[in-house]
This record gives sequence, structure tokens and C-alpha cells, in this order.
Amino acid sequence: MLPNFLRIASHTVLVLALCCCTPKSDDRPKLPLADSLKKVSPNQYVSTDQSPMDISYYPTEFPQHKFTGDAKAEKPVARVIYSRPHKKGRTIFSSSEKSLCSYGKPWRLGANEATEIEFFVPVIIDGKNVPAGRYILYCIPFADKWIIALNTNIDSWGLAIDASKDVMRTEIPVQQQAPALEDFTLVFAPASYGADLIMAWDEVKAVLPLVFSQ
Amino acid sequence: MKNILSLAFLLTISLGSIAQSKLPPIDKSPLDISYFPDNYPVLKIQDKITEPLLARVIYSRPQKNERKVFGELIEYGKVWRLGANEATEIEFYVPVKLNNTKIKKGRYSLYAIPNDEKWTIILNKENDTWGSFRYDLKKDIVRMDVPVQKQTSVAESFSLLFEKAGTGFVLNALWDDVKVSLPFSLQ
Repeated sequence: MLPNFLRIASHTVLVLALCCCTPKSDDRPKLPLADSLKKVSPNQYVSTDQSPMDISYYPTEFPQHKFTGDAKAEKPVARVIYSRPHKKGRTIFSSSEKSLCSYGKPWRLGANEATEIEFFVPVIIDGKNVPAGRYILYCIPFADKWIIALNTNIDSWGLAIDASKDVMRTEIPVQQQAPALEDFTLVFAPASYGADLIMAWDEVKAVLPLVFSQ
Repeated sequence: MKNILSLAFLLTISLGSIAQSKLPPIDKSPLDISYFPDNYPVLKIQDKITEPLLARVIYSRPQKNERKVFGELIEYGKVWRLGANEATEIEFYVPVKLNNTKIKKGRYSLYAIPNDEKWTIILNKENDTWGSFRYDLKKDIVRMDVPVQKQTSVAESFSLLFEKAGTGFVLNALWDDVKVSLPFSLQ
């Protein structure tokens, strides 16, 4: 058993190493994964993640509506499964190489596994038809816009993005928001044409419009 | 004027907070995902895959928080969602067999009826639902009784993880001092 201060120090280093969201060479997949994960968690079987996973549905809260009997359909329209890193006082988006999400570099729109989006019906994004199915979603952030890409490399860790598997890309404007949002959030909201996928973290918010074809 | 301005300022701030507070907070019982083969997504980007993806489970992880879990927090004899929040989802990427029942590839919900010495595990075809509150027996695919294995160590967070076994795999469920293993074989 390590002395307390050493344990705290090693935890801090691990937490910093595990929370990075840019594809740096010292990020998580290069670590001896099982060993380092064990140390950040009291659970001896599967560690609990620093950036916990979450799921958002459209229609919003579809599973809750299903259990209350208010769901209008058997199946949802879309869902996204992503991990939620925390700001923790850091600069998230900037041109600096040292920031978590540097301008111009692909970011997994989350943490850990690549963010997964599933459409249960065909949708239209930026005028392009997207067949129903499962994709990964990532972004390339810039100061004034994000490039959003849908990609077929599902069930992959989010650090090695293979752009050759992109099925489509679109650009969306970036909006500033205050106060800063601590936890990265992906959530759907209804829109006249279908739904918006809202992506928000720190002082930045971007909205991806999804048009539902009939 | 100054007062009106500061009132307007405060109002703007609080409206901003209201807008943000509609965004979902971090869950008390966070979602997690386990793959079989274990760590498949990491192996995939490291080009170290030697076996195909067979299954994954998406579940929420309640914490023990110094409570006695089975028999108290989770009552014996009642259907439990084997997690928290949304019903636990298991997906098979190939056809599998559980308790001699053939299961097509696809997504299913998993439930459990815990008891002192055995659990009944339920595979059900109702997907994308919340908890076990509207659990519908008619949508069961298969049930299987599995023995409770008492552990000497205590797991703080509920855990689901796969393990290779024979020609197939088992799904281990662990929480508090209890472990059960659900054996799947390949068709």
C-alpha cells in the first residue's frame, strides 16, 4: 500500500492522463490499460470511468415515455451514446496544441469510445441522405465552425479516426454560451424539420440539424 | 438606471442558467459499456483484433454506498433491470444460445430476478425502455436460473463484464458480495 500522498499524486497523474480528449501519443490506448484503470477506481472488476458514458434519445427521453406508455412509436428515431468529459478548469477549445481540443484536429465528441449515433429511420443532414443505421460521430473544431463527420468505423476507441471511412461531412457554425458548461453534453431537441442535435461544452455550443424523411 | 441595468444583467445570467439547466446533468449511476472480446474498441484502433466482435452490453452502474444491496435495496423475487435508469441492453453480433434457446443476433433487454441462492436472468425483446417498470413477460425470449456465487471482496459499483468460456462466453454480473455468471454458447 502506497502512502496517501503518493496515491493521491498518482491518481492525479492518471486522471489527467485519462481525461485528455485530443489524440496525443500519451493518451489512453498507449497506457497499460487494465493496470492504470484499476488504480482510479475502488472496483476490482471494471473501473468506473472518469468521463462517464451517457445516452440521449430522440424523441427526448424516449425510454421514459415508453415506460409511462406515452411513447408514440415502438422505436425511437435516433440515439447517441457518448462519454462526458469534465471541464475541470481547463481551456477546452483553442488554437493551442496544449488545449484539450485543438482547432483543426479531429475530436471524438466525447471521451473513451468513439461517440456512436444510431438512426432508426433514414435522415437528411445538410441535404444528404443518410440511411438508417449506426455510425460514429466526430468533429473538427475551429473558432467559428465545426466540421461534423459521420463515419462507419463503429465499436472503435475514439482516438484513431480513420477519415477514409467517412460517409459524410458538414459544417455548422459555433455559438458562444455563458456560463461555461462543466460537462460535455449531447442532447436532441425537437425542430420543425425534425430534430437538432445540440453539442455543448465549456463556452461553446454547436447544433446539427437532422431532417427526418417521411 | 444602474439598478435596472444590474437587474437586466442578473436576469440574463439567470436565463442563461435556466437554459443550461435543461441540459441533462451527469447521472448518479453512470452508463457504461462492456464488449466481448474485452476492450474490443481499443484493440480495434491498435490493429490487435484476433477474434470477431460477438457481444456488447450497455448498462448503468449504481453504487453500493454502504447499503446492503441484495435482499434490501434490490428486493428478492422482483424483476430488476440489472443496472439503473434505462433497461440494460445486450447486443449479439452473431447468433448465440442461452439455456438451449437459439437467439438471433440483435439487441435485447436484460433483467434479473435476484434471490438468495439463485437469480433468474431474463432476455426480453422490448428495447429502448426505462427500467423494469413495464416489464412485459410476453416479450421474453428466454429465462435461465443461475447460482449466486458469494464473493469475499465487495464491489462498490455494479459491474457487467464478459469472459471467455469454452467455445462461447459468460456475462458476469457483480455487485456487493454477489456474482452470477450467464453462459452463452455460439450456434
